[in-house]
Amino acid sequence: MVKSPVDEPLLDEERPETRSLAPDFAQVYQEHSRAIYYLALRLLGDPQKAEDATHDVFLKAFRKLDQFRGQAAVRTWLYRIAINHCRNLQVTWHQRHVLSGADEAVWDHTAAPGDSPLRVLEIKELGRRIQTVLDALPEEYRLLLLLVADEELSYEEVGALTEQTCDAVRGKLHRARKLFAALFQKTE
Amino acid sequence: MKHRTRLHSEQEQQQTVAENQARQTASREFATVEELLRHDAAQTTVPPGIARRLEKSIGQTQPLPQSWWKSLLGL
Repeated sequence: MVKSPVDEPLLDEERPETRSLAPDFAQVYQEHSRAIYYLALRLLGDPQKAEDATHDVFLKAFRKLDQFRGQAAVRTWLYRIAINHCRNLQVTWHQRHVLSGADEAVWDHTAAPGDSPLRVLEIKELGRRIQTVLDALPEEYRLLLLLVADEELSYEEVGALTEQTCDAVRGKLHRARKLFAALFQKTE
Repeated sequence: MKHRTRLHSEQEQQQTVAENQARQTASREFATVEELLRHDAAQTTVPPGIARRLEKSIGQTQPLPQSWWKSLLGL
């Protein structure tokens, strides 16, 4: 499996802030904190909320570390905690984003930019554009795209995390990509 | 005056070339949405404050195991 830069663990010297965490847990944090923070950031759309959520997710994980039996990969286990945590926060804050006025069927019949390359002229604006598009997507699509983008997760694991079959993941992913690409072009 | 105008024009041209080069460096094409998101994730920095807060929270919930501070002190 090809490792993405997202998953590249940093050495202790590069992350001095993790030196004082328990050795095993510090390693877990080093290897997965970026993925969990990124998921929280893009699900919640707010750096401060993402920071709080990441802290809470790892604290929960630390408290339940003895319950982790290894049936799933650590990354999947952390994602499950993070997804539940973010969902609870969104319910609490009444910040559920619903695809405003957009009918999925409309997107299914539009020209398919999902198969075309996504051209980005201004990298510095990329994060804001991505967030705008993700906010406009149905929650299910948003989560699917973020999880599938993590090369460490298989389709089976994404299916397990989103409680659906691999075929359902593939089908929805196709529509999610198409919708994302269409909306992304509009943010230029 | 004429010389000054030509100099000004050359400077403008150089500036335009530099701007175009900068834009080319900044622009990028992503084959898939996943590739775009992976790039975005790789550019995202985890705030260092999370680890510090986490350490504090963990310390408050339970006493630090001896091995932690022993290893910190190199004992």
